[in-house]
Amino acid sequence: MGQQEHGISDGLYTYKHHHDGGADIHVIFVKKSKFRVLLSYIGTMFLLVTVCCALLSKDSLCLGSLWSISFASIIAKCLRCGPVKKESLVIMPTFGVQLEQHFWSGRVHRKFVPIGKILKPVLNEHVTPVSCYWSLALLLREEYELMLVFKNLNPPVKMLVPIWKALCAFVDSNTLSDSALPQST
Amino acid sequence: MWAAAVFSDIMDEQGTKHRILMVSDFFFPNFGGVESHIYYLSQCLLKLGHKVVVMTHAYGNRSGVRYVTNGLKVYYVPWRPFLMQNTLPTLFLTFPIVRTIIVREKIYVVHGHQAFSTLCHEALMHARTMGYKVVFTDHSLYGFADAGSIHMNKVLQFTLADIDQAICVSHTSKENTVLRSGISPEKVFMVPNAVDTAMFTPSPKRLSCDEIVIVVISRLVYRKGADLLVEVIPEVCRLFPKVRFIVGGDGPKRVRLEEMREKFSLQDRVEMLGAVPHAQVRSVLISGHIFLNSSLTEAFCIAILEAASCGLLTVSTRVGGVPEVLPDDMIVLAEPAPGDMVRAAKKAIDMLPGIDPQIMHLRISYLRILGSKTVLPSYDHQLPTMAPFRIHTAFVLIHIQGIPQHFLWKLPVSEL
Repeated sequence: MGQQEHGISDGLYTYKHHHDGGADIHVIFVKKSKFRVLLSYIGTMFLLVTVCCALLSKDSLCLGSLWSISFASIIAKCLRCGPVKKESLVIMPTFGVQLEQHFWSGRVHRKFVPIGKILKPVLNEHVTPVSCYWSLALLLREEYELMLVFKNLNPPVKMLVPIWKALCAFVDSNTLSDSALPQST
Repeated sequence: MWAAAVFSDIMDEQGTKHRILMVSDFFFPNFGGVESHIYYLSQCLLKLGHKVVVMTHAYGNRSGVRYVTNGLKVYYVPWRPFLMQNTLPTLFLTFPIVRTIIVREKIYVVHGHQAFSTLCHEALMHARTMGYKVVFTDHSLYGFADAGSIHMNKVLQFTLADIDQAICVSHTSKENTVLRSGISPEKVFMVPNAVDTAMFTPSPKRLSCDEIVIVVISRLVYRKGADLLVEVIPEVCRLFPKVRFIVGGDGPKRVRLEEMREKFSLQDRVEMLGAVPHAQVRSVLISGHIFLNSSLTEAFCIAILEAASCGLLTVSTRVGGVPEVLPDDMIVLAEPAPGDMVRAAKKAIDMLPGIDPQIMHLRISYLRILGSKTVLPSYDHQLPTMAPFRIHTAFVLIHIQGIPQHFLWKLPVSEL
């Protein structure tokens, strides 16, 4: 049975948190406005027109046409709407966590991580040549790479902090329960 | 009342804590004078309660955010260096990351270091474009005639046209920077570099003068006078049979020194150590009596300060800001010519019996600013040699804050 949900919202993302049947569910939605859909169509049309003009023109393909196709591709990529509708994290006490990606097409991709495999959830700062952003990742036992909780979305840190705290509480409670178990002789 | 104590009191009364971004292509793990300066300055600022963030380019696999001592946050931005540890100059492509860092860290003051750093120039330009306070510290001297210097001076004129303040490490460096950049001299302050005398202490046991050891520690490149060493060392070894050399450092000119050793059969009198980690510099210095510096150009030369702190008598070329660093009884200066260097070495050897390393170390720790000599003021018995960093910072922050000028006239400093 679902409990009252509460959330945080900013320009692009909405964060909602609720409980359902004992599981702790954290969901981040992508806001899809008509304006963004229109921009993505404009970007796609711009790319198609540029490619058609380059191919149908009487002149052969030159550096200028290649540059214009590349530029139109970049514009289309920047304006496009992402395929992901929402990403969620479901914390199932004593079992593990489930990472879900819901796409606008209706497809859902799920990945379950058992509790024993999670070493620690971390808030990681990524630095790229042009930006710097926070992400939530899981440190896994016997794995070299981090597992990103939200693979396609870049929610702000104010949305990641409550999810990280919930994950830490979940991992710590499991660690405490393991240590409280009687040692076998 | 010492300068930094006054400034510290002023700042404490106001309770203003600043957020400063240090930008340079040169930071740890790359090692050098600029890198150490940025690190120690940042540590002093953190001790004063300000927030400091350092921005540099990635070094190999070291990319992303790192936290070093006392919570100093370092952004290793994944822009690969293209020439002599400098980021590829793109003029505008660094703007997104500079703006992102400034906004997310709520930076108020951007402090760039080193005229040769392209990342520094771009960051200063972008910061000024966004209306932030900007300070620039120049650590080196540059010429006016060669193609590289002409281009760099043009860039410097552009970058420094609108900065709030500039800092140079010696009077000579100030004159050089003002002439190259065309900046107003009133905007340029001279604050000398400092040395941590707690790290550079002399040997507890005084070395015997039966065999005199001359230590050379520098990068073996043209600019540091490695070619001069090739001429000086054999002549000194010929004139003084009881002298031997220890040469630390590496570089493209090392081959010439090795050839010199072979040619004059000096393998038992000239010891080549190769690259010396900074943590081991002191142990190399205290094994010698005299420190030899043959640089062809130096804005300040922190190496001779470290050597003097370890109790070594210094022989150095009279170039750039070197004459301003040490008192006359701690350094023997010579023209950058082999004959004059050999004469200076002879004079230093004759002076050696009168040199007490412990007294020299104490003097370095507690020297004052006197006349035209810019030696280190000291006021804090716990960190005596960190005072210049605090003055450096205090000048910068207070002039940006616009604190009334009359406070500055009460202070016993030679130049503000």
